[in-house]
Amino acid sequence: MHSTAIKESKGDRVFLIANYIYLTIALIIVAYPLIYIMSASISNPQYVGSGEMWLFPKDITFEGYKRVFQEEKIWSGYLNTIIYTVLGTALSLAITLPAAYAMSRKDFFGRNFFMGMFMVTMFFSGGLIPSYLLVKDLNMVNTIWAIIVPGAASIYNIIVTRTFFMSTIPRELEEAAQIDGASTTRLFFTVIIPLSMPIIAVMALFYGVGQWNSYFSALIYLNDETKYPLQMILRQILVLQQMSAETGSIVEASTAEALSDKAEIAALVKYAVIIIATLPIIAIYPFLQRYFVQGVMIGSVKG
Amino acid sequence: MQSTPYPTQNASQPESETQLPKTTGRQWRRIARNWELYVFIAPAFFYFLIFAYGPMYGIQIAFRNYVPTLGFLGSKWVGFDHFTRFFDSYYFWDLIWNTLSISFYELAIGFPIPIILALAFNEIKTGFFKKLVQTVTYAPHFISVVVMAGMIITFLSPSNGILIHMLEWVGINPPDFLTDPRWFKTMYVLSGVWQGAGWGTIIYLAALSGVDPGLHEAAIIDGASRFQRLRHINIPTIIPTMTILLILNVGSMLNIGFEKVLLLQNPLNMESSNIIATFVYKSGLVDAQYSFSTAVGLFNSVVNCVLLITINQIVRRTSQNSLW
Amino acid sequence: MMTKPRKNLHKLMASVIGLSLLAACSGGNAGTNNAPSNEGGATDPKSTVSKEGMPIVPEPITMTLMAPDVGHAKWEDMASLKEMEKLTNIKLTFQNAPSESFPTKKNLVFASGTYPDIFYGADLTAAEQVTYGDQKVLLPLEDLIDNYAPNLKKILDENPNIRKNITTPDGHIFALPFINSTAVLYRNPMWYNGAFLKALNIKELPKTTEEFYTYLKRVKTEDPNKNGKADEIPLASVKLTDLRMYFMGFWGMYNEVYYADKAGKVHYSPQEEAYKGYLTFMNKLWAEDLLDHDTFSQTDEQKAAKVKNNQVAVFDAFHPYMPFQVEPNRDNPLMTLLKSEVAESPVYGKHPGQSSYGQFAISKTNPNPEAAMRWADYMYSPEGALLFDLGPEGTLWKYTDKATKTKEFLPVPEGKKRDEIRGTLTPNYGIVPPGINLAETKKGLENDFDLFFKEELNTKIVPFAKPPMPNVFLTPEEQTEITALLSDLNPYVEQMEAKFVTGQEPLSGWDKYVAQLKKMGSERIAEIYQVAYDRWNSTK
Repeated sequence: MHSTAIKESKGDRVFLIANYIYLTIALIIVAYPLIYIMSASISNPQYVGSGEMWLFPKDITFEGYKRVFQEEKIWSGYLNTIIYTVLGTALSLAITLPAAYAMSRKDFFGRNFFMGMFMVTMFFSGGLIPSYLLVKDLNMVNTIWAIIVPGAASIYNIIVTRTFFMSTIPRELEEAAQIDGASTTRLFFTVIIPLSMPIIAVMALFYGVGQWNSYFSALIYLNDETKYPLQMILRQILVLQQMSAETGSIVEASTAEALSDKAEIAALVKYAVIIIATLPIIAIYPFLQRYFVQGVMIGSVKG
Repeated sequence: MQSTPYPTQNASQPESETQLPKTTGRQWRRIARNWELYVFIAPAFFYFLIFAYGPMYGIQIAFRNYVPTLGFLGSKWVGFDHFTRFFDSYYFWDLIWNTLSISFYELAIGFPIPIILALAFNEIKTGFFKKLVQTVTYAPHFISVVVMAGMIITFLSPSNGILIHMLEWVGINPPDFLTDPRWFKTMYVLSGVWQGAGWGTIIYLAALSGVDPGLHEAAIIDGASRFQRLRHINIPTIIPTMTILLILNVGSMLNIGFEKVLLLQNPLNMESSNIIATFVYKSGLVDAQYSFSTAVGLFNSVVNCVLLITINQIVRRTSQNSLW
Repeated sequence: MMTKPRKNLHKLMASVIGLSLLAACSGGNAGTNNAPSNEGGATDPKSTVSKEGMPIVPEPITMTLMAPDVGHAKWEDMASLKEMEKLTNIKLTFQNAPSESFPTKKNLVFASGTYPDIFYGADLTAAEQVTYGDQKVLLPLEDLIDNYAPNLKKILDENPNIRKNITTPDGHIFALPFINSTAVLYRNPMWYNGAFLKALNIKELPKTTEEFYTYLKRVKTEDPNKNGKADEIPLASVKLTDLRMYFMGFWGMYNEVYYADKAGKVHYSPQEEAYKGYLTFMNKLWAEDLLDHDTFSQTDEQKAAKVKNNQVAVFDAFHPYMPFQVEPNRDNPLMTLLKSEVAESPVYGKHPGQSSYGQFAISKTNPNPEAAMRWADYMYSPEGALLFDLGPEGTLWKYTDKATKTKEFLPVPEGKKRDEIRGTLTPNYGIVPPGINLAETKKGLENDFDLFFKEELNTKIVPFAKPPMPNVFLTPEEQTEITALLSDLNPYVEQMEAKFVTGQEPLSGWDKYVAQLKKMGSERIAEIYQVAYDRWNSTK
């Protein structure tokens, strides 16, 4: 925020008020589904289904939460997810930041080659089976490495980071460092990184949230339930088998019973599951917001 | 498919600031001077080499009838059969049209809104309200697709949806949002904005934090209004990010995930909700078809790739912010 | 939104490329294949597998088993499987995958070349059986059945149709089915809300489509739920998928897409004249608001809420108490099949007697196929069926008279459902296992509802029922053609059905619709299946 000791003009005030109105409307519109989900998570599912519950909880029940927390696996799931998220994000940043910095340097011979090579992966991928076979050959199946390594970097994020470096890091800094005889590594760690906290926060969030929400690698690469991340455990509680009507396969009476039970549970817990799974990661965001304040970084370095 | 689509970049694109090395000697000196940068890029290079290029041989199954136990080389070569089947499909043009029109629509609405929102956030004082509105708008990103679709259907249900009641209350006769094909795309795009705008601001907020406060101070002394400063300082700051995101978005035009569309799809709105991804998914229900889906995916990739190169060329001609 | 999570973009691409359909596996434990022979000791296991009696092998051996599960309990801890291990001397190590992702894992296993010794409840499709069998990844089982599966052999000898259903065109059996000869249903049937019937004083259920229409009309106008509001929904549905098969029977069609009639002629349903009758009737119900106007937009959950809220007169459910979430009761009668203007009506597409034909298979890397076959054969014996259906005695049930196999249930701990506990005792919960469903398993355990259910089926459905089609194997070429045709036809049919029913497309457009179907190659569907059906008929 720029300091404004100077008195605001009338036009500025109108502009500010309009801005606040706009944000308040946005807040209300977006808050509604969130309140809905919170209310639904403690309402009798029947009223949610029938539309009678539309804002405040109706026929309050904590059965949904109870159901989820009854599952002992939830806790190991949380723990695993935290480990995967922290390590995965650290690894992702360790690959992304230096690569993005190198590619942001116009005096880096071969940057277009690397750009081209990386960009290809945005469009063309070998698919699931070869990826699986690779992970298997590397002996990473059923280990933490299968979760954090194969998806460690994304060219999308590298490009976004590179753009930040190119548009915010003054080139004079690099030239000055070279004249001083400081090594690039030193420059990177002592100047570039501190200057780039906003983009590092964004990347940590992108990678971290991706890892937090992901279940697919776990589904493919993990066999051992004790290693499942939270999302995988929640899916086990929630996800129904493809209903037979769609696939045309045959339903046995006992399966029908199990499916009916599961549908009942799913209706009960599906909103609670969202809250349980996302509250921790949402709670992190306000702490990252301090990196998004205008000018703090540049100011701190210059000052 | 392994060959890079940008084979001649180095030769054809002289850098604007740095002169291309005239002699190999100077080139080597430049490489030697920046040797650390090669160390910097090494992890990413090896990562992509192993985990992206390593499995890429799998693309060939688009041209084969893949059978897992026969392996990639052992499965029968069928050339362009799977592509032909896709192109000959009764729905081919519908699929292309629906997919592209949803993407364009999404780009037209979904691209600017996070920017406006981020600029608005940036104008208000740090404090409780700012934290609240930022966090609240960010949160819907975490709602799972299934629940999101469920909520859309509940809110728009003709018999008891809350939005329908509200429209009736203000005297508007509500259309059949859920089953009228003319409303499908709007429903899809607006609900996407609703869910994703706040999340989309993050990257712009980071870019905005790079503004030099000195510029603002100077502008204030010059008597610039808030709006003028927004236009002449803040927006130019985020233009590089905007441009890059625009290019990347155009480069993924054909990639609309199947899940949300499928959940909102019904036989009555299928005219406009039948997209490539749902078509492939539904074909897979009849019988799992690796080769067919890989072929369609490859087609998407090629189209996306062409779109990206095109838009990048356009941007390159008009600004400095292109990808290469 | 522009900022869909882009993390792992290449992965996202992969899934868009559709590779999410590709698959993969759990294999994981390299070297597991060798384990059994190592632990089997020096002696050649083949010679030591006993042809009858237990244990199957004198010295313990180990096998790996791959199966889907629903996450209720670890298979290692299940009473049935522990009992089985004691009985047979075969120790199993389990490779489980959540049931909804099992097809993916299964494909990864086949692609990786590291196979488990046994596939259990694996739902191997006809195409998988044929291709993997051809490539000798799955062992042919017919000789093993003759020599090591006395129970199964007896069943197959007595029921040649079952043998035909599991024999591939080149004469091999690569996988074993779940046999359920007493089953009638394999889709949810339709039920009347009993309270409505009582309120409207209905003594005899509607027998024709006309009478049914009249009843629905009364529901709409006479407030049978007595809440003073006209909130009744005579017929509720989600996209018609839940009632289509049941209703198409009223016009003489046994199944939704294709079926063989009594004379053995194969039909492609959506272009039959009878299908037009179905559309006309449904259109009438829609026009008079008797068919829920939310049909094409609502979710299963919304429909369920309406049923539970006592607003719906006719609904689908496997058991009619399920949507009300109450204890089993006799309150709601099964919908009687209706006679329409079609002479040969009504009909009903019955459960074919076996389901999911590929539920058990032995891989080529299994060092003890004979032992594996004997292990599987136990599932087809009365004792084995019981053990795997209800767990060992003393857990969920006990004998009241062992000689007649009569049993009773033991009390269930407070707050638990019996079926949930069952899910922790035996793997056969929520998945379709290999084995057999025998009436004697449930002897003495049937509650009042079970008897009511059986009676309803026997009187109302069985007299009109015939399986729509035996299990026919298609050749790979046939399969490819069918897949391509149905990928185009299914969405078109679904779309036009909705348009005809809601009146967006007048029924006068029928001829145009049929012409379009033919243009899309619909006639090939019946032709291909006719060939396959004739081939099935001609095998001995």
